[in-house]
Amino acid sequence: MRVLVTAVLAVLVAAAPAPGFERAGDRKILVFAGRQEVPTIDPSVKYDWSIRMAQQSLYDALVKYVGNPPEIVPWLAEKWESSPDARTWTFHLVKNARFHNGDPVTAEAVRFSFARTLKLNQGPAWTLSEFLKDDDIKVVNEHTIQFTLNQSYSPFLSWLPWWYVMNPKQVLANEQGGDLGQKWLTTNAAGSGPFRIKRWEQGVLYELEALDNYWKGWPSKDHIGGVIYRIVRESAAQRAAVIRGEADIVEGLSSDDFDQVAKMPGIVVPTFPGMTTFGIKMNTQKGATKDLNLRKAVCHAFDYDALIKIYNGNAVLQTSPFPNATRGYVPVSGIYRQDLGKAKEFLSKSAYPNGGIELEYVYVQGLEEERKMGLVLIDNLQKLNITVKMVPLIWPNMVGRGAKVETSPDMMAVFTTPLSSDPDAVAFQYHKGSFGKYYASHFYTNDAVWALIDRARTTARWEERAPLYADIQRRITADAPEIFGMLANRRWAMRDHVKGFVFSPVRFTGEVDLYPLAIVAK
Amino acid sequence: MLGYLARRVLLLGLMLFGLACITFVISHVAPGDPARLAAGPDATASMVERIRAEYGLDRPLPIQFGQYLRGVLSGDLGRSLRTREAVAADLARYFPNTFELVTGAMLLAVGLGVPLGILSAVYRDTWVDQITRVVSVSGIAIPAFWAGLMLQLLLALHMGILPLGGRLGLMTAPPTPVTHLLVVDALLGGHWRVLGDALAHAVLPTVTLCFPALASIVRVNRAEMLETLKQDYIVNARAQGVSELRIVARYALKNAMIPTLAMIGLRYGWMLGGTVLVETVFDWPGIGLYAVASAVSSDFQPIMGVTLVIGLNFMLANFLVDLAYGWLDPRVRSTMSA
Repeated sequence: MRVLVTAVLAVLVAAAPAPGFERAGDRKILVFAGRQEVPTIDPSVKYDWSIRMAQQSLYDALVKYVGNPPEIVPWLAEKWESSPDARTWTFHLVKNARFHNGDPVTAEAVRFSFARTLKLNQGPAWTLSEFLKDDDIKVVNEHTIQFTLNQSYSPFLSWLPWWYVMNPKQVLANEQGGDLGQKWLTTNAAGSGPFRIKRWEQGVLYELEALDNYWKGWPSKDHIGGVIYRIVRESAAQRAAVIRGEADIVEGLSSDDFDQVAKMPGIVVPTFPGMTTFGIKMNTQKGATKDLNLRKAVCHAFDYDALIKIYNGNAVLQTSPFPNATRGYVPVSGIYRQDLGKAKEFLSKSAYPNGGIELEYVYVQGLEEERKMGLVLIDNLQKLNITVKMVPLIWPNMVGRGAKVETSPDMMAVFTTPLSSDPDAVAFQYHKGSFGKYYASHFYTNDAVWALIDRARTTARWEERAPLYADIQRRITADAPEIFGMLANRRWAMRDHVKGFVFSPVRFTGEVDLYPLAIVAK
Repeated sequence: MLGYLARRVLLLGLMLFGLACITFVISHVAPGDPARLAAGPDATASMVERIRAEYGLDRPLPIQFGQYLRGVLSGDLGRSLRTREAVAADLARYFPNTFELVTGAMLLAVGLGVPLGILSAVYRDTWVDQITRVVSVSGIAIPAFWAGLMLQLLLALHMGILPLGGRLGLMTAPPTPVTHLLVVDALLGGHWRVLGDALAHAVLPTVTLCFPALASIVRVNRAEMLETLKQDYIVNARAQGVSELRIVARYALKNAMIPTLAMIGLRYGWMLGGTVLVETVFDWPGIGLYAVASAVSSDFQPIMGVTLVIGLNFMLANFLVDLAYGWLDPRVRSTMSA
């Protein structure tokens, strides 16, 4: 009986309404409620928004993306220079950087980290593996490192913020069966970043603790003392968590929910134009959508304004295949907008002048916005006597279908976030080198465009690259490999005591840079 | 009796083998490329091939199946492409949470359902019966996820008397694992605050999960009690002046409980595999959530692991029900011995 009474009392105490942020002694702990797990934090193995948010907090890279438009700023490297042909890149490291265990961050650690990622050939390896071999990374001295690429590659610097530096001693000390520390680094960190791991409960929550003596210092005296990233899978529960003050930041709410919580006291919803494009990719090599005129007819039939309405006005239409924040972006005149006259004109020039065909529209099962876009397509294409078959699939199955020409659907709804602000990150999505990836499910083929992309990425001077990218944007638009849709705004709901949020469009959808965040409250 | 047990264990093994075959085939004929997904959206063909080779996905299916079966026999359920951990280790982490949730829900359902079924039968067509029938019909008709969301909205968001979800409060450190059952470990260690926190977090998911089971138990128990109370031996007992309480509790309930017990056993096995929605709504870190996260990633080793565990539990629940039959009904006991 005594146990029962004690338990009931304890339940009542534990169930008391939660305050805003959590406290651990003097530390103010920020609570981030996100839907996505962090299955690994190994910087050489994988990235997505939640993984990268953790990696960015635990590790440092030579340089970092900051601000909007995204700017590359010095981090572990205090300065750098490149040869005129953009083949040799030399970085000079800061001398005061320390790993969490106190070891200095040296050029050898940088070399080891790059070599490890290239050897494992996972995660960000694909961004440089074509141009950089581990033998071509040279330690000049303790604080200077040099990369010699096998050919000129201008976007080199733009990828480096995602190549985090690991402590070789810790990694090798935890190596199991020659795995280069992969098993250990899945849930442990060997970095020099502003936070270190405090708790790691896989699939439940991940707690990071701020380092008081972070080598780079902190931007605010009120900087957060730590972060609890808690998995909350249901959108309704995320919404309730931020309203109730159980979470300080939530991501991934629906447009309606964001609009609703924005009106509530104590909650702010920062809204910024993102770099994630929404496009409906059309298979340009098979079926009816192989016909350029049919694709143009579809592009002109689509109601673009409906996209903005689906997002309650929190989106802007694409005016080029490139997102607006991409370097070298130009608005393409004559980009497709709804014009039924033009749509019928192109249809009449196609192999299906009277329509009478069915096109498959594949979208992510359960993603309401994509389902609504499919309904818009059905309505729009009906006017061309084209029927649309909506096929919801789970994401892995969509990726599987989009990997081959033979199975890639007529139309596939795809959100794509470029990994860097360099135009090559977007242009290369339309290169044959991207075939097999979900964003290349159009299998766009144009030898002249491919040659331009190859030339632009290996040209050193920006003045020469810029016109090439302008040309690439115009040519891709003319070939209509997809319905160029919109750029949805990035949004988070935050309690108003969270300060210091810095947006950078090159970060992934829900990703937040935790380093500059502060909690200013009594 | 020993022969009966041996036959049942053999049958259990055969059923598990069949389950493994079916799950393997379904996982491998489903469209999608798990290696590509694990490698990441930007991975090159060589990166995907590397993952495929690392996880043995490049080998012919019969060889993969043979390796899988050998692994299962030695307790190795493979490795998750998503978490990169051994599936057995993942299951060991998540299963105790599901076990606690389901056991709590079932105890609540039996604790409330059996008395309510008896009352409903004894006071047939009175207001007690009417209310109980409304409860039982609602329990079956209302989807669990909806009930969960409504409870969450009312009791957690608006009234603020219970937590929204999760297994423990953010700043509560779990007790040293002994049984890996949080409530039991907190009790054993005398960690009253942790125990309170764990129970507070368990209230809403337990009630949500319990509701459909409670409804079924009430309905079956009521029907069986009504049937039993009409039997000649009950009429005879009444004629001999035996008290009504004694008739219900001593003579009717034992017989009425046989079908109820069968239903409880089946329901328990089913609940162990049917917690997906409740675990998702309340972020309860159990095997239901693990299965969902694995399914959307085409991560088939965990899916097969979860299916085997659920199947095994279901079969064990049935097995225990059969044994309980024998305990309750001497006729069944004699069949077992034969």
